[in-house]
Amino acid sequence: MFCIVAFAVLSILGIFSATNRALAKEALDCVLRRVTLRPCNTGFDEKIKAKILGSVITRSEVAARFLNKYFELLSWVFFVLLMASSIFTVRGLYLYYVTGSCNGLNDTAFCVFDPNGDNNKVTAVSSNCYLTPPTEQDLTLQGADFSSFPVINQNVTDNKIVFIGCYACDFTRAAYPVMRELASKYKVNMIYADYPVKEKTDYLSRVGYCVNQADPDKFWKLNDELFVTDKSNLDNADTINKLMTDIGLDTGKMNACIADPQTETAVQNQFSEIKKTKFYGTPTIFINGEGFVGPKPYRVYAIRLKGLLYWIY
Amino acid sequence: MLQENSGRKAITYFDTACQSLRPKSVIDAINQYYLKSSACSGRSMHQLAAEVTRNCDQARSTLAKFLGAAKKEEVVFTRNTTEGINLVANSLNLQQGDVVLISDKEHNSNLIPWQTQARKKGILVKIVPSCADNIFDLEAFEKCLDKKVKLVSLSYTSNLDGVSIPAAEIIKRAHQNGSRVLLDAAQTAPHQKINVRSLDVDFLAFSGHKMLGPSGTGVLYGKYQLLEEMDPFLVGGDTVASSTYETCEFLPPPEKFEAGLQDYAGIMGLGAAAKYLQDIGFEAIQKQELLLNETITAQIKDIPRLKLIGPADPKLRGGIVTFYLEGVDSHRIALMLDQMASIMVRSGQHCVHSWFNAHHIQGSVRASLYFYNTQEEAALFVSSLKKIGKVL
Repeated sequence: MFCIVAFAVLSILGIFSATNRALAKEALDCVLRRVTLRPCNTGFDEKIKAKILGSVITRSEVAARFLNKYFELLSWVFFVLLMASSIFTVRGLYLYYVTGSCNGLNDTAFCVFDPNGDNNKVTAVSSNCYLTPPTEQDLTLQGADFSSFPVINQNVTDNKIVFIGCYACDFTRAAYPVMRELASKYKVNMIYADYPVKEKTDYLSRVGYCVNQADPDKFWKLNDELFVTDKSNLDNADTINKLMTDIGLDTGKMNACIADPQTETAVQNQFSEIKKTKFYGTPTIFINGEGFVGPKPYRVYAIRLKGLLYWIY
Repeated sequence: MLQENSGRKAITYFDTACQSLRPKSVIDAINQYYLKSSACSGRSMHQLAAEVTRNCDQARSTLAKFLGAAKKEEVVFTRNTTEGINLVANSLNLQQGDVVLISDKEHNSNLIPWQTQARKKGILVKIVPSCADNIFDLEAFEKCLDKKVKLVSLSYTSNLDGVSIPAAEIIKRAHQNGSRVLLDAAQTAPHQKINVRSLDVDFLAFSGHKMLGPSGTGVLYGKYQLLEEMDPFLVGGDTVASSTYETCEFLPPPEKFEAGLQDYAGIMGLGAAAKYLQDIGFEAIQKQELLLNETITAQIKDIPRLKLIGPADPKLRGGIVTFYLEGVDSHRIALMLDQMASIMVRSGQHCVHSWFNAHHIQGSVRASLYFYNTQEEAALFVSSLKKIGKVL
């Protein structure tokens, strides 16, 4: 067992040291012998044991005696630990590949491949809004009506995405182009539901509502522009007006709609529907009913839509 | 090397029986060849070649004096002791049925060449058993001597336990029997004064690398008349005076045994090493070795499970302390000594597998001491070994 543990450790150390690389090679030879049911008679384990004992004995004779006496047992312990950590590592790699987090979908615990947790970051909805703050287990589309929201590929029924986002939120801005590409490439039915976590962009929810009512195709053009324009422009009515003019909208009619109290009511109703999902930050993306919190890598969404071999589609 | 070693932990080098460290004068002699006169010896006529020829000749003279040889032509340069023994094994006119006597604790270099001759020519190899404490058994030797014994080939000093044989008495009895004697002096030349004429030995081989000289150098001494009678082992360039398409005329000894271009730098280094040892004097060398051996032997003998190989008296073991801990792999002890305190010793069967196999001993640790070792190093070795004894 010792040579397997040694091989794993020395392989890693071998990245940085030629001496350890040579030892790792010896360990590999020993492992191969063991695997093929031959005795490991290269003296490798004896050599490493002696080196370890030689180091330990200079610090503590008691520890060296203990190590010498229970070396085989300790080797087994380390072997089990190695196996367990290997399994967890493989699991972590798989989960990271599939969900963007080593610990599972939307899990914000530390992940070595995403040390800053970027794949799970959201712009949080104030917890004051809830008696008990929701968690990712609470996420649901049940009871929420998204029929009044803008949608692309409306006729597609097999794959549905509901994208809850916020124009001024960095993480939504990161996720949006990814979702647009997915929706376009795989012809997915995608709803965009704006929830202004940043209060200054309340106005944009009404803009979006009115533009979608007037011309759904132009809504998506405007939406694309809003997600690429500088955030400082988002609370500037002149800039928004110019964007609407550029895509061929009548700003007079649009501004009248935006100022209409009925629009405010409709938008508030939309917010109520969004809240029913129990989302707690943006972006929150539902793919076929499953919630993805934070801006995940492209592959995570693609895998959910097309499976592990998404790239062949 | 000990001076230049400041970059790492101070080392204790107890592996001279394998290879000694080199004094600066030896390294300078080697460097001098490469830096100032890197040319052929004996072939070309230019001034550099003449200088190399002169220097090699000088080295040969130094080594002849080192051995007490009658003339420098009795000194044949080889790569090492093994080559010297192989030269004799292949060049001495041994016939089917001839007996070669060796001891029961020969280095493979003085065992395998004879086994090979046994397979090739049908000679017989007989083993002289040692006494219980590994001392040479003259009585057993006497019993083995008969008219079929053409050659007695023995380690002058054993690399296993440091025990030297009564060479003069053995040679005397062998000659009375009409047998030639070859001594493997690899472990003797670095530690004892050798006088081949007073010993009356026929052949004697040793290596440079164990006696402060460069690696890849060695000497075979042979009585001139015997060397003249022997055919060369390796042949080719530098061994002949002339050749035709059909035949050749060999040069006299030692040239006819020194085929091809020689290691001139090594030869000069070996000459410097011999001179260095003569300047120090073997009396001083042996005194220091004995002092260290006595210190170590006295302090390690009480370590539980420790078994000393060879006689208990350090006076009989020169600069060698060979031991094993029952139930403990010898390599582990050696590696631990290295790891703990940078003490460098040899472990395993020391190329004397036949002895270990016959005695059913897995291996041993060998500390081989030399004049450059100190009492402090001996104390460090003892304290480290005691710790290992407690832990393993």
